[in-house]
Amino acid sequence: MIVWNSACRSARLSTRPLTVRRCLSQRTLDRLTDPVQSYISTSRDPYLNLSIEHFLLQQSAPESVVLLLYVNRPSIIIGRNQNPWLEVNLALLDPSSHDQSYSEPPGLGAVDLVRRRSGGGTVFHDEGNVNWTVICPSKDFTRDQHAEMVVRALRDCGIDRARVNVRHDIVLDQGQHSLTIGSDDTHSTPYQTPEADARKPLKVSGSAYKLTRQRALHHGTCLLSSPNLNIIPHYLHSPAKPYMTARGVESVSSPVGNILLSNERFIASVQKQFGKLYRSIGDAQEVGDEWQEHDSVRKGCDELKSPEWTYLQTPQFSISNQSDTLTDVDLELSVRNGVISSGFCGTRKSGYSGAARTGLPAGLDGRRLHDISSWDDELGGSLPSVSHDRVTRLCKWLHMMLPPPIGRPNTHFR
Amino acid sequence: MSAIIAQSGVAAARALQGPARSVARCSRQQYMRLRAQQQQPFRPAARSFSASGRVLEKRYTEDHEWIDTSDPESASIGISTYAAKALGDVVYVELPTTGTEVNAGDAIGAVESVKSASDIMTPVSGTILEVNSVLEDKPGTINSSPEGDGWLAKIKISAEQELDALMDAEGYRKFTEENKSSD
Repeated sequence: MIVWNSACRSARLSTRPLTVRRCLSQRTLDRLTDPVQSYISTSRDPYLNLSIEHFLLQQSAPESVVLLLYVNRPSIIIGRNQNPWLEVNLALLDPSSHDQSYSEPPGLGAVDLVRRRSGGGTVFHDEGNVNWTVICPSKDFTRDQHAEMVVRALRDCGIDRARVNVRHDIVLDQGQHSLTIGSDDTHSTPYQTPEADARKPLKVSGSAYKLTRQRALHHGTCLLSSPNLNIIPHYLHSPAKPYMTARGVESVSSPVGNILLSNERFIASVQKQFGKLYRSIGDAQEVGDEWQEHDSVRKGCDELKSPEWTYLQTPQFSISNQSDTLTDVDLELSVRNGVISSGFCGTRKSGYSGAARTGLPAGLDGRRLHDISSWDDELGGSLPSVSHDRVTRLCKWLHMMLPPPIGRPNTHFR
Repeated sequence: MSAIIAQSGVAAARALQGPARSVARCSRQQYMRLRAQQQQPFRPAARSFSASGRVLEKRYTEDHEWIDTSDPESASIGISTYAAKALGDVVYVELPTTGTEVNAGDAIGAVESVKSASDIMTPVSGTILEVNSVLEDKPGTINSSPEGDGWLAKIKISAEQELDALMDAEGYRKFTEENKSSD
C-alpha cells in the first residue's frame, strides 16, 4: 500500500518565494484540524480531484468531518477492484486513435479512464454530474447517513421524488403521487410503485466507500443535467464481456436519469444540509490546480494516472474466442495482475484434442496486456502453420476485444 | 476493520492471563501445536496450557484482526467473526505479496464488501510468507469461516514483544461487548 508523506507543517515555508513553494499554505494546513471542513474544487481534472479527496482522507484530523464537492470533465471512473477491459469500451476513449468510421457517436472527444481507490462499480462523470464526498470518523460511520443528507438537499430544491434505496443509491421514484409519507423519511416517497410496476425508479446517484482504520469516506455522484445520457451506455458496454471470465467486482447496471437541477443550486443545498447536520456555518474553501504543487497530492495524481495502477490492479481474468464464429483459430489468454500469465492457441475444430493446440504464442508470456499496441505484430510470426488470413481475422478480433489503451500508438489501422 | 464497527475508543490491551482455552481444531492445527511445543517456546514460562492439550494461541487487535501465534515462524492472520459480520458479503479480497516486509499496523490488503474497500492491517511486524489463495476464487470464505479457513496471510513474526499488546480471546470478547453497548 502507498504510504503518504506527512503534510508539511512548517510556518517557515509561508515565507519562501511562491515559485519554489512545494506545500500548501499554512492556513490551508491549519484548516485540516477544524472539526467541520467544507471544500469545493474549481478543477475539472478527475485525477486531481480524487487525489485531493484522498489527501483529505489521510490528513484531516481524525475526529473531523469533511465535505468535498467536485465536477469532472468527461471521464469513466472504475472501482478499485474492477476490470477495465470488462467494464469499458476502451476503443472509444481516444477517438483519435482509431478509425473514425466506427467511432459513434461523435462529440465527446477524449474521455479519461480512472481507477478510484474506493470499491463499487463503474460510473461516467461529466459537467452535468456533481460529485460529493463526506469523510467522518470510523466510529460514526454508517452507509446511509450522508446519502440521506443529499436526499434532504434535493428535497429542499423541490425534488421530492428522491430517496435512498437498499443499495445506498439515490433514486427518483416514477409513480403517481399516491401515498402519505412522513416528510422526514428519506427512504420512502409518495411516488413509489410496487415492485412489479414497469415504472422503475431512476438512479441519479451511486455510492462507494473507502474505509481505513480511523476514517470513513463516502462519495457519490449526482446526475443533474448530463447531456450524455444516451451515449454513456456505449462507453460502459465492453465488446469483450461475453468472452471473458473474470474475478473482481462487476458493475450492476441501473436505468439512470437527470434530476434537472443546476449544479450551483445542488451544491449550495448540499453545503447547507452538511452545515445543518454538523452545526457549522463556515464557508466552503476553494481547492484546485494549485494543490498539484503539494508533494502528496502530486504523487497521488501520478499514481492514479499510472498504467500500473490502472491496469495491473485488475483482478485475474481469462478471455477466449471459443464462442466467436468469425475467427477460426482458438485463443485463450489468462491475465493475472494485468500480465499475460498463460494460455493456448490452436486451430478450430481440433476438439481441444491437444494435437492442434500449442502453448502461448512466443513473446506473449509475461507481457503486460496494456503494453501491447499491435496484435498483428505480436502474433504475425508466431503461428507459421496457420494461414495469413486466419491470423489476420484473429488479430482483428483481439484488437476489438483488447484494444491498446489511450496514448499507445494504434498500428492496427495503417 | 474498525471503520465499520463503532469503537468505544477505550484501550483494551491485556496480557494473557490464566490457562488458555482448548478449542477443537483440525488436525493440521494439532500438528502445528506439537511442532511449536517441540521447538524452543518464545512465550514467558509463566503461561500455562490446558492439560487436555488443545490450545489456540489467538490474539486480537482493536481493529478486529486476529493472529494465531501457535507457530511464531508462520503465524496466521485474519479478521474476526465480529468484523466479518459487520462487513457484509465479501466479494473480493486483495492479498499482500509474499516476501513483503511489514510493520505492525501497516495495511497488508483490502477487502471489498457492499461497495466498500476496507483496509486490513497486520497486527505485528514481520515478513509475509504465504497468502490464502482460496480467497481468490471464494472470497465468501471470509464470511463462512473468518477465523478458520478464511485466514488471509501467514507471517514470520519479527518482533514477538508486539504480541503482548494484543488481546486474548476473552479480552476481545469483552472489548466487542463494550463496543456494542456504546452504539
